[in-house]
Amino acid sequence: MSAARASGSRWRLRAAQLRAFAVRYAGRADGMIGLVVLVFFGILALAPELFVGPLETATRASAHAFDAPSAQHLFGADDLGRDILNRTVHGARISMTIGLMATVITLVFGVVLGLVAGYSGGMVDNLLMRVADFFLVLPTFVLALILAPVLIEVVGADAEVMGIRATLLVIIVVIGITSWAATARIIRSQTLSLKERMFVDRARVVGVGPGRIILRHILPNVMNLIVANAVLTFASAVLTETTLSFIGLGDPFQPSWGQILNGAQDSGAAGLGAWWVIAPPAVSVVLVILAFTLMGNALDDLLNPKSRVRR
Amino acid sequence: MTAEIRGRRQWPLPKQADPSAPLLKVENLQTHFQLGRGWVKAVDGVSFGLDDGEALGLVGESGCGKTTTALSLVRLLPSNGKIRGGSVELFGIDLVPKTDRQLDRYRWREISIVFQGAMNALNPVVQVRRQIAEPVQYRLNQSESASLKRADELLDMVGIPSRRLGAYPHELSGGMRQRAMIAMALACDPAIVIGDEPTTALDAMVQAQILVLLEQLRRDLGLSLILITHDLSVVAETCDRVLVMYAGRVAEEGPVSRVFTEPRHPYTRKLLGAFPNIRSDRRTLETIPGEPPDLVNPPAGCRFAPRCAQAMPVCSGTPPPEVSFDDGVRVACHLFGTTA
Repeated sequence: MSAARASGSRWRLRAAQLRAFAVRYAGRADGMIGLVVLVFFGILALAPELFVGPLETATRASAHAFDAPSAQHLFGADDLGRDILNRTVHGARISMTIGLMATVITLVFGVVLGLVAGYSGGMVDNLLMRVADFFLVLPTFVLALILAPVLIEVVGADAEVMGIRATLLVIIVVIGITSWAATARIIRSQTLSLKERMFVDRARVVGVGPGRIILRHILPNVMNLIVANAVLTFASAVLTETTLSFIGLGDPFQPSWGQILNGAQDSGAAGLGAWWVIAPPAVSVVLVILAFTLMGNALDDLLNPKSRVRR
Repeated sequence: MTAEIRGRRQWPLPKQADPSAPLLKVENLQTHFQLGRGWVKAVDGVSFGLDDGEALGLVGESGCGKTTTALSLVRLLPSNGKIRGGSVELFGIDLVPKTDRQLDRYRWREISIVFQGAMNALNPVVQVRRQIAEPVQYRLNQSESASLKRADELLDMVGIPSRRLGAYPHELSGGMRQRAMIAMALACDPAIVIGDEPTTALDAMVQAQILVLLEQLRRDLGLSLILITHDLSVVAETCDRVLVMYAGRVAEEGPVSRVFTEPRHPYTRKLLGAFPNIRSDRRTLETIPGEPPDLVNPPAGCRFAPRCAQAMPVCSGTPPPEVSFDDGVRVACHLFGTTA
């Protein structure tokens, strides 16, 4: 009974803190711009049919090769006469999914293992960092080339996991397992220096356990690193997807921004002056990464009390 | 008197507590640190007692074992430190043979510490009141909201205005941060508070305020205080008794009024002589020639002998016995071997 009351008031406390945080976040222009852009692309990714036709219309030619932007085809057409607007909007889903999932995998593994390794030290640290070393030297493409046929063999070429085709899953997993180690190393090195600080000693003396010290005292101090890392990982994941598509690991049935760019390069769109093939996907990539950076900046400022304006 | 003070406590006393035993009795404490070349005998045979409500000053130059002595009481030593002998009796219970788990019952709940340098001891990205709530939450197993409520009470008690409750460490002044550290030390209503140079980094005005606060809290809460400092004026102002340490041993111990007006140990005399006196017209301060001995291989006899102006042949051979005087002063010096 009393425990239930205590946990109830704790949730009220949390809710009040969250509300206060939302209010402060809303006051940040850069954070809000980032959020709006990201929500926009999120809607594109979740429901492309709201803006353009279904997926089939994006993979079929509806115009002539390299048609310039017109009223009918706002962003023109590519070398096969496919509508660029259509492809860009549909490409958002793949690029955003791959970027987000790969970032989540990278951060979860990197942050958790980095914190644990740095705080425990000794054998645990040694073991985890040797494992990280192994993943650090794994070449992304070779791993993807080996994993893709294996995974497709296991789950079947047409299998879908949460609406994501197996080939895309390979890309996500490969980006995730090849980039978590770098994040883990960064978080570990910061943890190593933080755990020598006197406030960690004080927390220990005062009775706070190791798990709580990591969560309440060290994690908030590495938050800015995590946010910066998330932005970088997202950007590199979107770009890695482009490169993996280039060596034939993309999903030809589902366009992504990387694939449009890749197609543009293959067909020499830039040399032919067909800028409209390159600009929409490229600008989309830049906008999403910019939105992430803006949000990251705002979050970092709000979470770091030192940069907060005095009340 | 004693029972009354203890009855005020919100948390019960340890089970086996013996009401007739002195609050704290340290006998022949030996705390050594393991270094590559051997054991550093940082504290080597220190004995003292502390009564309920008493304030004891621990003075001596840097590295003489003041902090180590205090941290040994509830074994908050660095991992290479070890208590290799002696006993620490709190309420008549010897804490030295206890396991770490058993000691958790005493750490912070009976003996807490006001850390030196509050800026470093506070996490810069966690609100001060949340950090003060930590000992309540984890040592006394209170809920988070109850701990925060207690933290707010504590902050009010040490004179931090309630509108500063949500502040982060950098938003407080040095004096307020030190007040917050004092609040944290009081969180579990301990019997003994150890002040580890609590006023060292503060300017004279704030230092005075902090000392007044400590004095007032000691009176109001019936705390016992161990004040570690190298500032003799702080001891003169706040303490009842003073323990002068040199190279891991007790040089002289007694009531502040006696030790400061009539120092007996040559080291105490030198130490007092090295301190500016506002009433005398001395222009230069005395210095103590030489430096403290290497504590891995300390001198066989009196550890102060190599620097002592009054050293005799016997001093370098045999360690001086501790001699007690009628006025409550205890001195470890061969000069008083026969006169006591």
